[in-house]
Amino acid sequence: MNPNFTDSLIKWTLAVFLVVVFAFLYMPIVHILFASLSTRPNFPYPPEFNVASYIRLSTNTVYQSAFLNSLLLASCTAVLSTVLGFLATVGVLRFAGKRALIYAIFFAAPLFVAEILLGISSMALYYMLFELQGNMLTAIIANAVHCFSFCFLIMAAMLYKYDWRMNEAAIVCGASPLRSFFEVMLPITWPGIMGSLITAFVLSLNGLDVSFYLLGATPTMPSVAWGALRYGVKPELYALSSLINIVVFAMIIALLVAIRLKRKAA
Amino acid sequence: MQDANLQRRLILDIPTGFLLLFFVMPLAALVTLSFWQTENYKIVHEWTLMNYGTLATERAYITFFLRSLVMAIGVSVTLVALSWPIAYFIVRYGGRYRIIFSLLLVIPFLSGEVLRLIALQGMLGPAGLVNGALIRMGAAPLRMIMYSNAASFIAFIYLYLPLVVTTIYLSLINFDFRLAHAASACGANRFRIFTEVVWPLNLSGTIVGFMLAFIPTLSASLVPRFLGGPNGTLYGMSMAQQFGESGTWALGAAMGVVLFLFSAIALAILSYGVDLRRTGFTGLGRQ
Repeated sequence: MNPNFTDSLIKWTLAVFLVVVFAFLYMPIVHILFASLSTRPNFPYPPEFNVASYIRLSTNTVYQSAFLNSLLLASCTAVLSTVLGFLATVGVLRFAGKRALIYAIFFAAPLFVAEILLGISSMALYYMLFELQGNMLTAIIANAVHCFSFCFLIMAAMLYKYDWRMNEAAIVCGASPLRSFFEVMLPITWPGIMGSLITAFVLSLNGLDVSFYLLGATPTMPSVAWGALRYGVKPELYALSSLINIVVFAMIIALLVAIRLKRKAA
Repeated sequence: MQDANLQRRLILDIPTGFLLLFFVMPLAALVTLSFWQTENYKIVHEWTLMNYGTLATERAYITFFLRSLVMAIGVSVTLVALSWPIAYFIVRYGGRYRIIFSLLLVIPFLSGEVLRLIALQGMLGPAGLVNGALIRMGAAPLRMIMYSNAASFIAFIYLYLPLVVTTIYLSLINFDFRLAHAASACGANRFRIFTEVVWPLNLSGTIVGFMLAFIPTLSASLVPRFLGGPNGTLYGMSMAQQFGESGTWALGAAMGVVLFLFSAIALAILSYGVDLRRTGFTGLGRQ
């Protein structure tokens, strides 16, 4: 057989496969977008445009307080785990020397421990030590442990080509370490830091397992969604899910555009 | 110089201390708890091996564990088999659209497990898209995909596919395809290039991807509870119930310890094949 023909055969087979997989990934998301906009949520075809379920969602006080709690939890977790992840990255890449591998494995370890185990074990610890039922602070910390590994890996992947001599050059020229960080390092490494912030935010916004065991009666978005699920799926849940998907989509597009603009400017 | 030393120590010690306090300590607490007992929803500080005895002898727990294990292996192997062609296509033929392709894969991953399960339920459930369409066309609904282990299997594939594809993608994108060309120039055919060059050199990334799907599947509690149906109870779900409805914390803790040890052993065995420098994950490439 002609090798060129085989090549393009392989290429097109793979392309068809990719399209099928993308369809598998996106069909449920598009389906519930239609379902949330329809008066017949079970079989919303042909599509309609009806925002009744969104209005019900926005007037529901349970969802409102859950949204605020989730927002607080996710922002604090994102900042905490990104700061810790940044320290860990700088430490491993610059200061750890021969022990870099050991530190890296330790910092990545939470990735390989199931979230539910993290939640359960933190709950057990706080209960045994302080007879505490869990509160926002403990939930933020436990979520940050899980997100920390992701932040560390994302920033390590972005930073390992960073030239540390630039910091030293800035310091030689008389900048304080803090100033060399803000004026030299931050402008160069911000895509990695942004990526880490977004990842941690999204992970902790959506994580049910950790928050479920550490927050008790405080509602968050996933726990309210989970609670509502037990009594059957309602169109409000479809609306909530679609809204989150749209926000995530917009955030990713914004990040892409920002990177492209930056590259054009450079 | 002392200043630099202090700075170095702070930078590495803060994250290390954080993990020791909030990651290692809770796990130690879990181990301790697993050797105690719970009576009437209260923890009794009495050292005992009873929880582990219950786990080793009770039929139900062994069944749950084996079912979870078979499910996790099946899901991870299927995911690796599905992810390779996708990642390979994006890296080889994606060109300047690579980043768009990989972001398109990640976006569904970002909306959270619960909401993605709701979306999937909209597809698979008794009144969902698939069965709704089948009924409309006059066919019988597919019982197989409602509340069964098959439904859980599809859900796991759906949940973790982006994770595995991204891992293999990161591995392949750091792979030097000139090596494949060199093999080709030396007369190897496609199959041999794949089995002797491309696959072994990307094995590390593949194993990491495998583990990243294997561990959450083994401990999953949401998917089986929501989609698994009467015969679909998995180990993680049973463990979660010990901390919820049944209130037998100590037994649940023992289940957690077993799960943790099993994952750790699996990880240790598999990581013999892992060379972190080749996973594309970390910056350990600089020697």
